[in-house]
Amino acid sequence: MRKFSKFVAFGFVVSWCPTLAQSADDDLRHGIAFAGKHPISVYGGKSALMSAVSPADITITGRVMDDKGVTLPGVSVVIKGSTQGTTTDSDGSFKLVVPNASTVLVFSFVGYVKQDIPVGNKTSLIVSLTPDDQILNEVVVVGYGSQRKQDITSAVSVINMRDIGEQPANNPNQILQGRAPGVVVKQLSGTPGGAFQVRVRGIGSLGAGSDPLYVVDGFVVGTSIGQNLNANDIESITVLKDAASTAIYGARGSNGVVLINTKQAVNGKVNINLSLDYGVQSIPKTRRVTMLNGPEFAQFKKEIFMDQIRILQNREPKEDEVPIGYRFPEQTKYSTDWFDLITRNNAPYSDVNLTISSGTGPIKALFSAGYYKEQGTLKETSYDRFSVRSNLGGQVNKFINVGLNINGSYTRQNVATTDGRSNLVGGALLMDPRATPYDADGNLIPYINGVDGVFGFPNPLFMLKNLPRKRNISDLLTNAFVEVSFLQNFKFRSSANVKLNQNVYNEFRPSTIGNAVAPGTSGAPPRPATATDINENLINYSLDQLLTYKPRLGANHSFDVLAGYTAQQEQVRGLRGDGNTFPDDLVPFLGAASIRSSNSYEFGWSLLAFLSRVNYSYKDKYLFSATYRREGSSRFGAKNKYGDFPAASIGWRVTEEPFMPKTAWLSDLKLRASWGVTGNNDIGNYPSLAFVGANNYILGNSFAPGKVVNSFANSELKWEKSNQLDIGMDLALFNSKLVFNVEYYKKITNDMLLPVSIPSVSGFTTSLDNIGKVENQGFELGAEYRTNFGQVNFRTNANISFNRNKILAIKGANDALYSGNFYGGYNVQKVGRPVGMIYGYNKLGIFNTQAEIDAAPKQDGAIPGAMKFEDTNGDGVISYDTQDMVEIGNPNPAFTWAWTFAADYKRFDVNVMFLGAQDFDIYRNIEASTMNMDGVFNVLDKAKDRWRSAQNPGTNPSNVNSQGGTSYFKWSRESSNRYVYDGSYVWLKTITIGYNLPKFKSILSNARIFVTGNNLFMFTKYPGNNPDAGVRGGTQLNNDDESYPIPRTFATGLKLNF
Amino acid sequence: MKKIAILSLLFLCLTQFSCKDDFLVTTDPTRIGADLFYKNETQFLQALSGVYGQMQTITNSAYIFKEFTSDNTSLDFNPLDRGGAAGWEAFEFSSVNQGNGEIANLWNQYYSALYNANYTLEKLAGSTLDATIKGPIEGQLKFLRAYFYFDLVQYFGDVVLVTSTLDKPDKAFDLIRSPQADVWAQVEKDLKEAVTLLPATYPASQTGRITKGAALALLGKSQLTQKKYAEALATLKQITGYSLNPLYADNFNPAKKNGPESIFEVQYQGGNDLGEWSSFAYTFAPRLSADAVTGFANTTPGGRNIPTNDMIAAYESGDLRKDVSLKTSYTLKGAVVPIPYVIKYTHTHTLTGRTDDNWVVLRYADVLLMMAEAINEQTGPTSEAFGYVNQVRKRAGLKDLAGLDKATFKTAIMQERRVELAFENHRWFDLRRTRTPAELASFMNAYGLKEKAKPSVDRGGIAFNAQDYIFSDYEYFFPIPAPQILINTKLTQNAGY
Repeated sequence: MRKFSKFVAFGFVVSWCPTLAQSADDDLRHGIAFAGKHPISVYGGKSALMSAVSPADITITGRVMDDKGVTLPGVSVVIKGSTQGTTTDSDGSFKLVVPNASTVLVFSFVGYVKQDIPVGNKTSLIVSLTPDDQILNEVVVVGYGSQRKQDITSAVSVINMRDIGEQPANNPNQILQGRAPGVVVKQLSGTPGGAFQVRVRGIGSLGAGSDPLYVVDGFVVGTSIGQNLNANDIESITVLKDAASTAIYGARGSNGVVLINTKQAVNGKVNINLSLDYGVQSIPKTRRVTMLNGPEFAQFKKEIFMDQIRILQNREPKEDEVPIGYRFPEQTKYSTDWFDLITRNNAPYSDVNLTISSGTGPIKALFSAGYYKEQGTLKETSYDRFSVRSNLGGQVNKFINVGLNINGSYTRQNVATTDGRSNLVGGALLMDPRATPYDADGNLIPYINGVDGVFGFPNPLFMLKNLPRKRNISDLLTNAFVEVSFLQNFKFRSSANVKLNQNVYNEFRPSTIGNAVAPGTSGAPPRPATATDINENLINYSLDQLLTYKPRLGANHSFDVLAGYTAQQEQVRGLRGDGNTFPDDLVPFLGAASIRSSNSYEFGWSLLAFLSRVNYSYKDKYLFSATYRREGSSRFGAKNKYGDFPAASIGWRVTEEPFMPKTAWLSDLKLRASWGVTGNNDIGNYPSLAFVGANNYILGNSFAPGKVVNSFANSELKWEKSNQLDIGMDLALFNSKLVFNVEYYKKITNDMLLPVSIPSVSGFTTSLDNIGKVENQGFELGAEYRTNFGQVNFRTNANISFNRNKILAIKGANDALYSGNFYGGYNVQKVGRPVGMIYGYNKLGIFNTQAEIDAAPKQDGAIPGAMKFEDTNGDGVISYDTQDMVEIGNPNPAFTWAWTFAADYKRFDVNVMFLGAQDFDIYRNIEASTMNMDGVFNVLDKAKDRWRSAQNPGTNPSNVNSQGGTSYFKWSRESSNRYVYDGSYVWLKTITIGYNLPKFKSILSNARIFVTGNNLFMFTKYPGNNPDAGVRGGTQLNNDDESYPIPRTFATGLKLNF
Repeated sequence: MKKIAILSLLFLCLTQFSCKDDFLVTTDPTRIGADLFYKNETQFLQALSGVYGQMQTITNSAYIFKEFTSDNTSLDFNPLDRGGAAGWEAFEFSSVNQGNGEIANLWNQYYSALYNANYTLEKLAGSTLDATIKGPIEGQLKFLRAYFYFDLVQYFGDVVLVTSTLDKPDKAFDLIRSPQADVWAQVEKDLKEAVTLLPATYPASQTGRITKGAALALLGKSQLTQKKYAEALATLKQITGYSLNPLYADNFNPAKKNGPESIFEVQYQGGNDLGEWSSFAYTFAPRLSADAVTGFANTTPGGRNIPTNDMIAAYESGDLRKDVSLKTSYTLKGAVVPIPYVIKYTHTHTLTGRTDDNWVVLRYADVLLMMAEAINEQTGPTSEAFGYVNQVRKRAGLKDLAGLDKATFKTAIMQERRVELAFENHRWFDLRRTRTPAELASFMNAYGLKEKAKPSVDRGGIAFNAQDYIFSDYEYFFPIPAPQILINTKLTQNAGY
């Protein structure tokens, strides 16, 4: 638990002094400076005087200044309890008529502490507002501790829930989206309860994972928090981005660290908070792909049949040659939109949370309970979560401080295999629209046989309804600490953290489910029913011992030291059972299967680390911080068990220098630089060891157990290490109304752990080795501006991130790693090039005639209508392999950005967020099927505009994405830039409008209702549902093979505080 | 006092996890570390079984490279799947290129098996096992290593010759191809050593292990392939204790596995969950035959290795082997579907997809025909040579051969081999052995013309590719897989590719 000391320094100044007021005009003319850092406010009210004032209207004039005496224009002056008011003019003056002397004026201005001032018997006021320097004094949670924001010398982004407003975030990753420069959050698929992908400052590793490390209330839980944490319980999130802040997490810090802090009881208050959200989700019409309907598809089939005769036999076909199934398209009986059949419009979700906190007494407590339920936009898919939390903590006596957080959750997910062309979403697009899902009695037909050469598929709705796949996760996250203060300046903190997780999965595939993408009736049911049951238990515990020393060294020096020791262990044990060939579909349990198999497994890892940190600052002006971690991990070879992770950072608060003029516009300027070493051990558990695995045989007609070696042993495997440099600037202008945050970083990952392709004559095709080197450098800019126009308070926040990565070394100079496949697109990792470049043939156009084919470099098997590819190696042949392939797209955006603006007026508030990514490419793999001219699948509406002949080549045959019309497979779906699209997008992500209800007696202290929309509109040329989609992992970037679509959400909610 | 108490408590907390070394040592409890294995006889026998197991993997797809490529078999053309099938169809259509995925798998499979043979041999050499235990294990491993190179050198020509394992993966980048002669020399060396190390027979509980006879048969075959006819004959003549099965069908009957004629067969076992079953019946059944051939519905037969018209016509009338080897149609739902298929490996079995059929690699009929070939190549036909061929023909219910000259006898032996050993993965190497690349090209192109004129199976109206069945001299060897050259530029490609 982090003690999160909130907004300190609420110093304010009100000057209300008759003598001053009398001479105000004169003094102000001479530009008096109001001195004193912490002036005393003087409430000069004498009740006798006040009562003597007549009830008639009083005209008040005055002037508003800041603490340095500089006048403030635009300050809102409102009569308390009403909407009447004014704002100060360009020299900070105002004039307002108030009803009586008991009137209280409210002075508010962005970046300053709001002040209530009783008018009393005065007609002239001089008001001095104190800057609300909570931004600078705010305490930020950092690794193994917390720091004042102004003292931080590393690249850290803080997201406070109070800045976000009410938005339906069912998942902590969603909160990160668009909030922090350098943090890119992608929702790869719309699966209910699915996790988002988070990348901090690009892809740092080609071989190990690139997910950041998550730390919940000080507990390092790993590279995923899954869906078990209720977003409603979160108080703030800190993202540590540079090495100076992450190196204290050592071998797991390379990809950034996300610190999540849950809500704690606030001192001295009893609070009951109830929130109810209800929303509906739908797949936006504009983000659906349009396939041909029944008659159109029959027409298409007819056309390609006839075109094929024209091209290959060079004659005009007779109509009666056309198979009867599609000879008369207008007679097509059915027209089914299979995708529409499986989607659910207005799929509801609801979220109910109750939080009770008590901040009185020595032990403060917060309890929360939540229930979240979401129906997916694909029928029968759903997700729900029960969660409870109890956060306890307090000072039990003068020396001892304790805390205990317990979070339990239970989630239930009904999933389906949706992603990829042979699964539900892709399959629904490809199915024959001339078939009907229902029989004459209105029952779902289990299987749609392939007719006229179209492939057969199981009815996707039947499959959703009859193929249960359930995942239930129970998760318990607990952490407790005792903190003992001793010898005045020492504190010792011992904490224990435990995570227990049980993950249960079961599915039953009844005999009525057929196979997808099967010719004719060959995939039709009945098929042997199968069942799978998996039960996995995880235990992760860590024990941290932290000793801090914070001596008081006088006003100019601030110094603190942290030393700690941590041990962590994780173990997973699983049991899996499979059943095959059930006599019937009546008993969906393994015991009923004729053939059964089972497997049990166990894996785990452990680490030990010593960590330390020194912070020093001189006069709050020169800041220095250094950390060091020495860590041992079970994952590495015997020779390299331990790694060292040092980091250091310096900061200079220029505005604290005496030579800097104290101007109103320059509130704060801090320059920072940091350097450090971090690691990445996300490479699986036993990479350095070679194992023998089973490969059995039969001898003497009996079973003969056999063993073969599975992998190369490499006892020299070591940490993947990153050296990272960060130069940053924090700039606050105009009394912190405008805040800039600028970062430049350069991160070089060395000794990258890569599964290197090795010549298979070694016995193995790949081997893990520390050989790669990748550079990520980038520039991040965050800006925030707060102001008000009259009574409208306005805040806007924008950030933009540029990340450039480059592979510096893989294996020798010419080496490259290829992944992917010939018909599905490749990604290549090449020295000197960015990560994950899309690779394939370069399309030059479409062959119109045999003469064009003959004139071009030899493309064996090409017929008119085939794509014409470039002979990049100039050997006169387009070889049917990767030899002529080149880079055809860059999956890495030139920049990503987010822009939020928020405003409130009286009781209303609005919050709008835009997100965008610019200039990046996507390999739209699914189009190799949805634009397959064989006639075996339904095709996109766009297919009507295909090339059909030299005379009828479609509207824009020279467009790189244009489709050749050949029904012959060759030279139409090979990996090429035909399938590469620009994915640039601008996404109006959310709009939230809220209204704060008036107080209801003393019962309801605060109440708010809101409406919100999420994923509202996307502006992009990309033809798919989601430009963030990708079906392959790791460095195989941006391969879109159609995933669970991303819904648009409309929600309304109510929040009550008692 | 209180302070001391607190401090000592702190100390306890700090040291509760002292840097115990074993805290950081974890190993996969579900697997055995390679460093802990290869210690005793049981473990060496298991390692040996592991390599035998890799023979199963190799055998499961060997028909692609040894029958498909030849004039014996074609494929049950699937007009609907023109994308995924291209890789293996290329072998039928003589259009294999270096990007072919089957070629990549082939190369990787053999070198993976070689690694385990080499690794076990190295560990065995360093072990303290008794020589009487070591000897047969070493002999079997050397046979297997020789077998792998015997195939590789004929598939690819010059190949990388690895007879030891690498201590570091990097070193694999320095390995280049060795001349064919060196590979053959290694094959002969290993087999000659195996001959001395292996027993002639094993107890019944060990049936299926490689015997001295197997080593001699493969050695003889190697010598024959290298045109060392005298040596080959001498070697083959040492093979004793084998005789022809009275019935040709017994060679393939799961109930009569490892019979008197069997010299070496890859062992499989169906009817249980042990994972050691074969499924050739399913691979070779026509695509749409459903349960008509295999007896089990709900499966998708492969339609591979479909006998060609040319193959079916090769049987003399009255040849008893024809009906044991193939059928020309199947009956589904009362309708006769005229698609031929191989039935040598199709027998009744109890569980879907899990057949009990072994795969015969070497049998005595092959040895008899090889001896006849070795004699004829040296001296022309002799009565001894006729005798060997006629033994085989007699069982097939055919008349004796007599009165042929060297050339016609050679043709007759090849014809006999073709039908006797049909679909047993001999045809491609037989064609290569008896022809120069140019002769092979004209032979294969002649076959191709026949297939193009009258395809053995219906093509659903889809025309042939221009390049289909065009066989060039260089296709005598397969291409070295492109991915291997891509990562190691020191590896050269075969000419022509």
